[in-house]
Order: sequence, then structure tokens, then C-alpha cells
Amino acid sequence: MKKSKRFEVLANRPVNQDGFVTEWPEVGLIAMNSPFDPKPSIKIKDGKIVELDGKARAEFDMLDTYIADYAIKVENAEKVMSMDSLEIARKMCDINVPRKEILDLTLSMTPAKIVEVVGKMNVLEMMMAVTKMRARLIPSNQCHVTNVKDSFVQIAADAAEAALRGFDEQETTVGVARLAPFNAMGIFIGSQVGRPGILTQCAVEEATELIMGMRGFTTYAETVSVYGTEPVFMDGDDTPYSKTFLASCYASRGLKMRFTSGTGSEVQMGYAEGKSMLYLEARCLYVTKGAGVQGIQNGSVSCVGVPGGVPGGIRAILAENLIAMALDLECASSNDQTFTHSDLRRCARSLMQMVPGTDFICSGYSSTPNYDNMFAGSNWDAEDYDDWNIIQRDLKIDGGLQPVDEETVVAARNKAARVMQGLFRELGLPEVTDEEVECATYAHGSQDMPDRDQAADIKAIEEMMAKKITGVDFVKALNKAGFPDVADSIFKMLKQRIAGDYLHTSAIVDENFHVISAVNYPNNYRGPQTGYQISEDRWEQIKSIHNAVSPEDVK
Amino acid sequence: MNQELLMKQIVEEVMKAMSGNSSITTKDDNCKLQKITADNYPLGDKMADNIFTPTGKKLSDMTLQQVLDGQLTAEDMRISPETLELQAQVAESVDRDALAANLRRAAELIAVPDDRLLEIYNALRPYRSTKEELYEIAEELEKTYGCSINATFVKEAAEVYSKRGRLRRD
Repeated sequence: MKKSKRFEVLANRPVNQDGFVTEWPEVGLIAMNSPFDPKPSIKIKDGKIVELDGKARAEFDMLDTYIADYAIKVENAEKVMSMDSLEIARKMCDINVPRKEILDLTLSMTPAKIVEVVGKMNVLEMMMAVTKMRARLIPSNQCHVTNVKDSFVQIAADAAEAALRGFDEQETTVGVARLAPFNAMGIFIGSQVGRPGILTQCAVEEATELIMGMRGFTTYAETVSVYGTEPVFMDGDDTPYSKTFLASCYASRGLKMRFTSGTGSEVQMGYAEGKSMLYLEARCLYVTKGAGVQGIQNGSVSCVGVPGGVPGGIRAILAENLIAMALDLECASSNDQTFTHSDLRRCARSLMQMVPGTDFICSGYSSTPNYDNMFAGSNWDAEDYDDWNIIQRDLKIDGGLQPVDEETVVAARNKAARVMQGLFRELGLPEVTDEEVECATYAHGSQDMPDRDQAADIKAIEEMMAKKITGVDFVKALNKAGFPDVADSIFKMLKQRIAGDYLHTSAIVDENFHVISAVNYPNNYRGPQTGYQISEDRWEQIKSIHNAVSPEDVK
Repeated sequence: MNQELLMKQIVEEVMKAMSGNSSITTKDDNCKLQKITADNYPLGDKMADNIFTPTGKKLSDMTLQQVLDGQLTAEDMRISPETLELQAQVAESVDRDALAANLRRAAELIAVPDDRLLEIYNALRPYRSTKEELYEIAEELEKTYGCSINATFVKEAAEVYSKRGRLRRD
């Protein structure tokens, strides 16, 4: 066949470098609405669920047992289960039905039922429902702060900048696992330089993450994964019971935490049991609910390539966010891992959460260039900061960020790096050189940073952890280093864990250390001119970009 | 009665209730035992005079200077069982019963030292423990640390693990 020039151009478009597959429901390679998904059912005897989605208690696996015993309000369950799913779907996106009324239904449903309900909705209707069902009144955003060199000085500078740009939560991780404590210190302290009150975490193995939380290196945790089938849960080296216990461990130390799950993980790990990705994700969300965890990071997360490759996959991702919200959980709605070569696709995928607003639209947005993102790259990078800001300005939506001026950012980056230099000097840790401070001040990524002696850093970390250095030691050292303001911020962040207000659903902390959560700022959306409204001041912030031509300029 | 005094009384009642003291009714009929709700939230702002650390420090008195002077240590930067109970009541007042249950399990676990807590978490992971070992942990939680809800929970896990073949096979 003679080749068409048009088709040749199309074949070379970025979107055609992406991977796509046809549905294969038998192995679970289907986003939602699978013919093999269980039919919703429930039977209750003496207040106990004895049949769940077509299975009798004798046939329950571990997840069924856990969900039946902990995750469903039984009082109205039979009544709700007998309601028409289409009718419930219509209520979910109806501005005349308040959020509370929806929760009375959704919290009494089984996983198969809630999947059937959201399966009746198109993405626009789901976005309407997200606008109403998001737990916190005010949407927010989270970023990743990492780099391939594990330079904690760069992390501190990037964290300070990201805080100025508007991220209320920040997450780091490591290339080399043993460097985790330094990275955790970099993001925690650097972020406070940018804007006091930022919550920070360091994503590592569960037990290590808990130790760092206990010792005041972090203020919350997120990398606590749950899965939708028993074999995959076991492969993840946990059970719903161990994860529930872990959740209580965090709360016992006054630390905020959320679980993580997402469509596609089970089929990727080879045990989807022939169920749709969304049905299995619903089971994860019920485990999360049952554990009494305040929230979840979901939206396929690091498995986004799987739903991204099947028909309706991006719809399923929005559907899983919506289910999380319909279970009254905080939802950090992913928009993180890279899944496409196409700028059009990555933007279209994110509009699903950007437009209605979620508790954290990205979880997270990469505050570094793509090559420095240690979560396998993000859908949004530092290079996209202005695009994000302009999209907010174009649509008059609040995606959590704002334009910043270069002078302020450079000053904050420089201070964050100097703070780390002073902190390390006072704690007797390996030197942070003037060159590192200078490079971190002006760097875009780790290619602009000098190398550190990682062996010396690891040795120092081992000694520091053996000595049981805590956040209180950071406070003292920061004050001694001549940064009493930063010392005070770290002290006030540590104090958060004494009152425990930020253990509640969808909590963030403002610049005056006041907690804003779904308890004191619940979402009260009921249609136009209700719910979260962008204030005049906030709109001024969002729309004020440096490169807009004003009438004065053209005169 | 002013709001502050009322709150103080409420907290005292809760603390008495938690320590197992049954004589919790007050003489003042106007001040029956009231639960904390979302109206009292954030407790760190509205009830800072009634929030204490497990070491007995009052939240509203804690300052940076005390850290610098060594009067406050890492041991003081912790939440108390009483505060978690108050937060559980806040959660209940906004219909988050599962969250409240988690906070009550957590209130018990404050008594368990960091290292032991980590060991118990690891013991609950799949294939780590025999049924007997899990029952021993449950007994330890109950007897040594007074964690009765958690003890029941660990025993329940042991039974489920047994049924599903997720115990350690020696």
C-alpha cells in the first residue's frame, strides 16, 4: 500500500508513542463495568454481614471479612442496597441533594454497589459529584521534592520555593534508602522557610517511615499501601489488620497519615482475580474506611500506565477518586506519575480533578525537572509551573498554586540552603559547603548541584539515628545557628502532634499554624455561588502574572 | 459559667471516665457530662488550656524558649490518651465513627514504647507469627499496657490469619 503522508505525520505524534491495549476482562484488564464484577448483594443476620456481593461468609477471603466487619454501616444497609443504583447516581451529581444525604447512602453500601452507582455516570457528572463530595471546602495541592543525587540542600531549596508557589503538603523520597533522614530534614525545614505550616513526609518502607515520624523528622505519612485482592496484599507484605494497627500507631504519636491505593495495581501484580480495576480499587477504599484512616491517596498513582492504556481508564481514575470522597475520606487525587508522551493527554487527564478541585489535586506535582523526580517522573513538573498558573487564570479555578516573583524565590532558596548549612554545623553533621548553598540558590535541578560524599553522609546518619536525635534537637540547633524564626516554625509543627487537630479528615495547616480540615471547613457546595468561592484577594493572586500587558504598558 | 471553665470541667470528666473512675457525675446539675464536638475544634486553638501532654505539660504554656532552656524535651512533644479521646468525640460529632475508633485504639497505644510498637506491627505482617505468638502479644498488650481494644483486635487477626493460612509455618 502506498503510504499516506497524513498518517505518517500522525504516527509520529507523541500520543502514538504511548502504549494502548484492548480490554481483556477475564484477567482484569478492564477499567470498570466488567461483566465479571460481582453483583451487589448483602445479607445481615444479628447485626453481622453474612453475605457480601454474592459471597457467603464461609467463602469470605481476608478482605471480605475485614470489609464486612469494619467498613459498612449495617443499620440501613439492606434498605440502601435495595435502592436503584441509577437513582443514587442521579442524587450524587444533583446539586439539590446535600453531601450528608449522599453519605447516608454510600456509607451503607457494598463495594460492588458503589462501583455500580458510579458506573452509571459520565465524567462530567462525576466532576459535578466531586465538587460536592470533596471533604474539605478549600481545594489544595501537594508536590514531590526529590532529586537523583539525594541532595538534601537542593531538596530544602526546592521545598522553600514549592511552599511559596502554594503547595500545602510536600513529599520526598530517596534514591539511596539510607539517606532518608537527611532528605526528610531537608524537606521539613526547607518548606518552613518558604511558608510556615507546610506538612511534609518522606516515602520509604513502612517501619522506617514510622520511626522518622515518631522522631519528628516528618509531620505526616502517606506511603501506606493497600490492595484489592488478598494475594496482592500479601505480596505487599501486609494485611488489612497490620495496616489498621499501623494506622493506630501513627495516631498514637499524633501524626497525620493516609493510605495509598489505585486502579491497576492488582492486574499489574498478576492477581486481579478477573475483576475490573475499579471494583478492586473500591475494596481498597473500604479497607481504608474500615481502618478509620482519615484519607487516601488514590487515582491509580504509580500504576497509571495500566488504566491509561485501556478504554475508559481515565474515567475510572476519576471514578475511584469519587468513591473515596463518597466514603467521606480525604482524597489526594494522584495526577502524579508520568503516563503519556502527549501534553494534550496529560492535561486532559488532570482537568478531571483540577476543575472540580480535590483535597490535593496532585499527589504530587513534581517541584523539580522530570529527571529529578524519584517517583518515576510526574505528570506535572517544575517546567510546567507557568502552564498550571495560566490554566488557573484561564478557567478561573483554584488549583492551589500562584505565580511568584524571581527575587522572592531566589531569596527563599538561598535562606533554606543556609539554614541547612547552619543546622548541619550545629548538629556536627557533614559540612554543607558555600558552593552547595550557592548552587542550590540558583539551581533548576541536580545537574546544577555539586556531588556530596554519600559514604560520609550515610555514616553520619547512622550515628545520628543511633543517638536518637529528634525534631527537638533541630529546634535547638536552628536557634543556635541564628535562625530563631525557623526554629520556632519547627517547634510549632512538632506542637501540632500534641493537640492532634490535624489527625482529622483533610487537614492542612495555614501560615499561622491553624488547622483547616473537613471538620471546621466542611464542603458545603449546593450549586452556583455556594461552596468554595475564590475570594477577591485570591483571584488577584492567581491572575497576577508578570508577563500580562496592561493599558499602562501600551500608552 | 464561662466557656473556658465549662471546657475544663468536661475534660476532667473525660479524664476520670478514662481512668476507670465511675463517680463522674458532678454536683452542678447545670454542668452534666457533655461530649466535645466540632464546635470545640480545633482543640489546639479553642481548648489549649485543657490540652496536656502525657508528661503533664499544658499546651498553652509551651514555648520555644522552654525548648531552648531544656525544660521541654522530645518526651513532652507527644499526644496524650485524654486528648485522643477528645478528638475521637469530635470525629463522632461529625459522623466519622471509624476514625473515632482508630483514635481510641491509638489512645491505648500511647503507652507502648516506640520500639515495641514497631515489633508488634511487624509481627502482624503476613507469615511472621504463629497463632500462639499473636495471642501472647494480645496478652502483653492487655496486661502490660492496658490496651484492651487492641488486644481483642490482635486476637481477631490471629483467627483470620489462621483461617486464611497467613500464619508463620515453622
